[in-house]
Amino acid sequence: MKTSTLRRHLMLSAAAFALGAGAANAQDCPIKIGGLAPLSAPGTVVGGEAMRDAMMIAEADINAAGGVLGCDIEVVIADTEGLPERAIAVMERLITQDGVVAVGGGYHSSVGVASKDVADARGIPVVFAETWNDTITGDKQKHIFRIAPLSSWTSNVNWQFALTLPGIEKVVILTENTDYGIPASQETAKGLESGGVASTIFSVDIGTQDYAGIVERIKAEDPDMIITLVTGEAAFNFTQQAADAGIGPMDLPFQTGQDALESGTYWTNVPDGQYAFVQRIGVPESQFTEKGRAFAAVYKEKTGKSDVESYAMEAYDSIAVLAQAINEAGTTDGSSIVTALENISHEGTLGRIYFDYGLKRDPSEDGKGDEWWHQWPDPAITIIQFQEEGQASSEAAIVYPEAYKTAEPIWVNQ
Amino acid sequence: MHPKRNGGPSVQTPEIFWGVILWMTVWGVLGSVLLRRRYFSRDLDTSNVNFAGAMAGAALGPIGVAVLWARTPKLSGRITTFLGLTAVVLIAAAFSFADPENNCVANGAFRASQFTNGLIIGIIYGFMALGLTLIFSILGVVSFAHGEFYMIGGMLVYYITVVWFPGVNPLLGVMGACCLAFCIGALFERAMLTPMYTGKIDRPVEYGILATFGLAFTLQYFVQALHGASPVKVQRYIDFPRWEFPAGAESPLIETRRGNLTLFDTVSISNPRFIAAVTCILVLLALLYLLHRTWTGKALRAVSQDREAAAIAGIDPNRMNMLAFALGGMIAALAGALLVQAFSWLPQVGAIPAMRSFVIVVLGGLGSLPGAFIGGILVGLVEAAGTGCIPDAQKAASYIPAYGMIVLTLTLLLRPTGLFGRRFASGAHGQGG
Repeated sequence: MKTSTLRRHLMLSAAAFALGAGAANAQDCPIKIGGLAPLSAPGTVVGGEAMRDAMMIAEADINAAGGVLGCDIEVVIADTEGLPERAIAVMERLITQDGVVAVGGGYHSSVGVASKDVADARGIPVVFAETWNDTITGDKQKHIFRIAPLSSWTSNVNWQFALTLPGIEKVVILTENTDYGIPASQETAKGLESGGVASTIFSVDIGTQDYAGIVERIKAEDPDMIITLVTGEAAFNFTQQAADAGIGPMDLPFQTGQDALESGTYWTNVPDGQYAFVQRIGVPESQFTEKGRAFAAVYKEKTGKSDVESYAMEAYDSIAVLAQAINEAGTTDGSSIVTALENISHEGTLGRIYFDYGLKRDPSEDGKGDEWWHQWPDPAITIIQFQEEGQASSEAAIVYPEAYKTAEPIWVNQ
Repeated sequence: MHPKRNGGPSVQTPEIFWGVILWMTVWGVLGSVLLRRRYFSRDLDTSNVNFAGAMAGAALGPIGVAVLWARTPKLSGRITTFLGLTAVVLIAAAFSFADPENNCVANGAFRASQFTNGLIIGIIYGFMALGLTLIFSILGVVSFAHGEFYMIGGMLVYYITVVWFPGVNPLLGVMGACCLAFCIGALFERAMLTPMYTGKIDRPVEYGILATFGLAFTLQYFVQALHGASPVKVQRYIDFPRWEFPAGAESPLIETRRGNLTLFDTVSISNPRFIAAVTCILVLLALLYLLHRTWTGKALRAVSQDREAAAIAGIDPNRMNMLAFALGGMIAALAGALLVQAFSWLPQVGAIPAMRSFVIVVLGGLGSLPGAFIGGILVGLVEAAGTGCIPDAQKAASYIPAYGMIVLTLTLLLRPTGLFGRRFASGAHGQGG
């Protein structure tokens, strides 16, 4: 009886060891980190490709520096197509089939909103790179972090900048009807209203090509300024078609979509885009950190682009910060990585990345809203202006806020 | 000409508008059901009675239904068109009373601009759908690669005029794109669709759909792999001269500037759209000449009507299949080649135009060339009306793809063959010969 009990114990121990070894093998080299990016329509493919390239550079840099826990890392890129239903599926696949231990990247807010629940339920930490919707961190989920700014912060910058326009009475906001565009447009309109400025919101499907009818309606509104909260080539189409109709950036103050930061593509698609304002996340290239400058050089060489987009830098940092957290945790266990992320101080391309609030300290203790949970508090948000035709976004004037200002804005039609 | 109300969220007196719509719907349904029974009981042609009955009820209420009930006239195109237009006018009148300060009602310049925009884009939609319906009428296959032909048309113009031969005349770029698209269509048809005609395939229609799906994915991802996802655009092909008519007038009837054409000092049409629409009309006329005045065109039409009889008459139906597929692809490519100067272009750009083409082809009647063109214009006008007139600015532009679908749904309910459809349009699925 004793012998059989001992044998059973040995067998159980062996089985437990084998399971443990299996788990260890699952974490064996290379350590896999997921990378979300929209690489097919209707997602913003130009943004997705920039993020993919940046995450691959992060992988190479981390491996060149010795990897993580003695292993190389492998960034498994997953195409979200900018669609929430697709995002849920790819997050499931990354975790259950590819065996990733953490996930970075992410461009569209709708992707972040939909996929975060999957990752959190499965205990996989995520550092979202470019998803702005407030609820992504506002739901206070244990495994969800973000280094992109909150939508409400970017909206604040939009309306506060608009209110600096002399004699402004009416603003038209063109937004995409997504988890990014809808709250951003409503927050911007609310902020404008607080400054006594009326606004009308036009919302369009993501990927809209023909704006002729909308442009006529906007003309009939007779706005003093236009703010575009649309991503990808849809923003290029709108800006140029507005310019063709006499309400473009050379006709009235006009803020175009963020993808104009890839200025080579912007000028190809919007030849009449001079004087457009663009929101940029992160400091100007002249104020980049050493790591930021190194990344920019490699990125430009790899992609042949003249500028480095802020979402590319965010994507790079999302992978790098996860790699550091895994190293500091000493394991690929999700909870341990979360603890390491909450206590991290990472020198990234965008600056020093850290998270003030989370399990260790609730935002309410400092009177902050839930959206500050696992949220990097320091992303710089600036407004630049293409003051010369064909100008690179890295050389464009920073016109807002005062802290980063390099030139006064040129107000057309004054 | 300033609007009286800007971006207001709703109709001022919605009860008027929705009351009229309810009245029209009730009498439309009654007219459709009652007149169908009436025509059926009198052993008359019922093919058009659903549509005519619905329009009579919607436009003229009980009077219209009663007149048709009593007289049971032959329901010609003239009668149904009159009734349909009357129904549209009634809806417009109800909207005007319900929302008199809406831009579509109070602002004549705005109305004219929206109509012109709708007409111009509708001509381009119709032209693109023409290629799809040409393929269907001959091969009996709906080409799911139509959007990708549209995409490669624009991409080829970009590569020819910007990358491969910078500075070359855009006309050569457009012609080159058309020739290459024609060749791709012909090669694909020969390589992939011929098994449909030999009887080796049990389900030729499904095979054709899947083969064209495959071509669509291949073309799209091939271009994305080669080119990447950055959107491109070409400069406008022609600059308008600076011109006014009458010259020196304070408000000229026609005024051109490099990038714009202004009519009556109110309607502004961008240069690329104008060039695209005019070219579409010219090519359409050339296509009609080809189909009605040349042996090849007559052979194509003969095959679309009766493949076996055409084969007996010495026409090779398989060759016509190849020609139709290549021509259809080339037409889509030409639409793309003309619009790459107006829109940003990337490998996925064909998805929405392709979907719209399917709607237009079904709306116009499967296999009907005039139906495709008129259906395109109709969809363009409905989209422009929806975008311009729906009071809530947040909803007006969001629902653009839905406007065409509403028209399609109504058409399918009332006239399943479409506006100009034949009842048995191309059932042969390319077989024979």
